[in-house]
Amino acid sequence: MSNLQKSAWFNLVGVTVLGMIGAAAILFMARMNTKGVEYVLICIFVPVLASPGLYIYCRKKSIESRFDERERVIHSRSLMVAAFGLTIFLACVCMLPFFVLGGQNVIKVYYLPLIFFSALFIAQFVHSAAILVMCALEDDDG
Amino acid sequence: MGSDRLSNKVRRLRFDNGELTQQQLADKVGVTRQTIIAIESGRYSPSLPLAFKLARAFGVSIEDVFKFENEHYGTK
Repeated sequence: MSNLQKSAWFNLVGVTVLGMIGAAAILFMARMNTKGVEYVLICIFVPVLASPGLYIYCRKKSIESRFDERERVIHSRSLMVAAFGLTIFLACVCMLPFFVLGGQNVIKVYYLPLIFFSALFIAQFVHSAAILVMCALEDDDG
Repeated sequence: MGSDRLSNKVRRLRFDNGELTQQQLADKVGVTRQTIIAIESGRYSPSLPLAFKLARAFGVSIEDVFKFENEHYGTK
């Protein structure tokens, strides 16, 4: 398995786990109806929650620095796929409720951070999946 | 302008140079074995610096390793 594939698997698992933790945290905060200054307490715990994410990010960057030129090409192609996936996701998430519920309806505020983190999750997920698919296709050809 | 095609003799040159393995060649030029496989099968066209590295690893000129084919410009 190449560094690119290792990085993609690492990313896929890391992002999935952190995405689930993040979504659970937001849903928990939404239930408590936290607002304003109360977020100071939450901000104290954010670095603790973010530390595995930072570790994954730093580890991924050190692996990425060892990519060779063909892996960099696959990496940049998969970034384009991720950008496309993100656009489709945002279009669906923002436009579908508008068409289905109508312009005069309201949505709960906690959907906004959920949409934000879901967008990050989707982009990373599609990026990693695209890398793994492209590598698998190349292996099939060989 | 015609379609471009880049063929190469990497596999042939590997065997002519003491049956060099794909991994040994990859280590020599600083890429992964998968990249050598992709170049040999014509699925990936290397950058100019990598093409030069490959040629120097075999001790030949770049045109002895790669052949550029184009309907408009002919074969070189």
